[in-house]
Amino acid sequence: MNIIKPIQIILFIVLGLLVSSVTFIFFKLSPAAGLSTLLYQGFGTKGGITGTLEMTIPLLIIGVGLTVPFTAKFWNIGAQGQFILGEIFATWIGLELVRALPPILDMLVAVIFGFIGGALWAIPPTIMKLYSGANEIITTLMMNFVAVYLLLWLVSGPMEGAQAKLVNAPASAPIPPNYMLPTIPGTTISSGIIIAVIIAVFFYWFLRYTDFGYELKLIGQSEDAALYSGVRIKRNIILSMIISGGISGMAGMIMVYGITQTLIPQFFSDVSTSFGYVGIAVAMIASLNPIAVIFTSIFLGGILNGAYVMEAIYSVPIDVVISIYGIVMIFSLIGVMIDFGRLFRRRKVR
Amino acid sequence: MNTALIISIIATVLIGMIPRSMPIFAAAIGETVDQAAGTLNLGVEGMMLMGAVIGLLVDYYTHNLVLAFLAAGFIGLAFSAIHGIVSITMKLDQVVSGTALWFIGWGISGVIYASIFGISSTPPTVLTLKEVYIPYLSSIPFFGKFIFGEDPMVYILIALLIVIQYFLFHTKQGLNLRTVGNDPRVAEIMGVNPILYRYAALLFGGFMAGIGGAYLTLVIVGSFYFDMTAGIGFIAVALVYFGKWNPWRVFAGTLIFGAVYVFYLMMESIYPVIPYDFYQMLPYLVTLVMILIIGARARAPTALTLPYIKEG
Repeated sequence: MNIIKPIQIILFIVLGLLVSSVTFIFFKLSPAAGLSTLLYQGFGTKGGITGTLEMTIPLLIIGVGLTVPFTAKFWNIGAQGQFILGEIFATWIGLELVRALPPILDMLVAVIFGFIGGALWAIPPTIMKLYSGANEIITTLMMNFVAVYLLLWLVSGPMEGAQAKLVNAPASAPIPPNYMLPTIPGTTISSGIIIAVIIAVFFYWFLRYTDFGYELKLIGQSEDAALYSGVRIKRNIILSMIISGGISGMAGMIMVYGITQTLIPQFFSDVSTSFGYVGIAVAMIASLNPIAVIFTSIFLGGILNGAYVMEAIYSVPIDVVISIYGIVMIFSLIGVMIDFGRLFRRRKVR
Repeated sequence: MNTALIISIIATVLIGMIPRSMPIFAAAIGETVDQAAGTLNLGVEGMMLMGAVIGLLVDYYTHNLVLAFLAAGFIGLAFSAIHGIVSITMKLDQVVSGTALWFIGWGISGVIYASIFGISSTPPTVLTLKEVYIPYLSSIPFFGKFIFGEDPMVYILIALLIVIQYFLFHTKQGLNLRTVGNDPRVAEIMGVNPILYRYAALLFGGFMAGIGGAYLTLVIVGSFYFDMTAGIGFIAVALVYFGKWNPWRVFAGTLIFGAVYVFYLMMESIYPVIPYDFYQMLPYLVTLVMILIIGARARAPTALTLPYIKEG
């Protein structure tokens, strides 16, 4: 990769951010003031950075998971549902085994179940696509809504905790504090962030240096070419979706064990819990590079966290972030795909 | 359950299903034309949300429903124009661009609404579109009320269905449009401008998505709330697959969906043994089943999602 391309992409992302700041004029804020407040609240204060990194954890893990099927142009829009199922599975098994197992084993079992939960939710749409051609974008999205209502039912029914019942706020019983993921010493940041970065680095290697990653790229570029060169497309796609769904499920486990402590309802209309959707933006803005996902997830996580504060101060709804993401996505897409570098390079003389 | 209850359930479903299916139908008919010309517009959801909020605002300030629907259509059109520039002119990925537009519509619609009515205020009351009872015909027992007692928008959309059906399969331009969707190179050789056709189809699709959104606020709900479409835009896209790019079949699909919607809203109160949340899942599960069973053998326009790159 030449040096012009990354700079060009970053420039376009910044340009997208500037354009998207126009939305602040709806709240009688100048775009510059709105944007700088947003970024200051997300990155400028100590509390802001802590909150941002907390947001980053699920976004980073989900975003990395999504790069895998996206590389094969298999559009998994269902990370939100897979994330929720991971939370459900992990919380359920974690609470069941909490008396029987020491913390470390309980976490290990929970993370495995989180993976299984997410993967289980990712498999039906994949099978539907491969064996009957049902468009995966629609099926995975529909699975999200089913997951949302399943969660709402569980936290106000079978899995509702005793304490939550008293205050009439649907939630599961909490994970005991000593069973939670430890925080990084000296901070209040969950060690989930370290796990997330390890996952990102691993998948960078995985997509770049393994046959599997190469084959996914081939499928993404041309399914026919992949078929002729002997790539087992169905096997690869199913594997990529198991990985992606499973990783989103793991993010769900880390969310519960690292941040929320209980299983809480997540409404589809609530941007602040829509990590699965924001994860799509994270992966796409990073142009499917897992290392770049680390930076985009911090970037988008910071905007999300900044918007929380802005909602309280300026009554700007948190929905503003999702439009910012959309605009930045379009600009980064243009930045990635258009070869502006060509304009500056000298034409080769034949 | 006794027969009287079953009959009343059927009657309620029949009466309610047509208006309920209209927002999806408006978006789906636009998407049908759009996809027939070879562009996948995943931003329908966002365009519907924009149409919903703009329609509501224009109605709130002008009390003019015609203007409200038109404004909603044009905001959808404007959004689809962005999709066109990115995916047709720049030839970039339609899925990424569509997803981005969905996000933009989702966010901006909430932002616009909140900037005027606040985050948690009581929703404003607006003028909604009322049913028109066609004299004599609407007094036919049982059937009269739900066939001849709908709001004007229903008649407009049904007329549009007939027009689109005729246009796609019985006119030269319709054939050209489908050729552009199947093989833009052949279309070019035939002397048809693929880019032009794709833009026209896409803008029409965006316009209709906006109308569908406005129908939601101005006829069904009467107000706006955040992310109110709740996946309807994607269900509309699903129904295009279900309908195999044939307007009549798409219409049939939306009716099924409208019926499901009314059915579950009613069953919640009649049969509350099953938790509320499972009824809420129903539209999405039905969509999954529909797209699995009938959409399975659908043959998409060959050049769907492929940008047209001129050779030479």
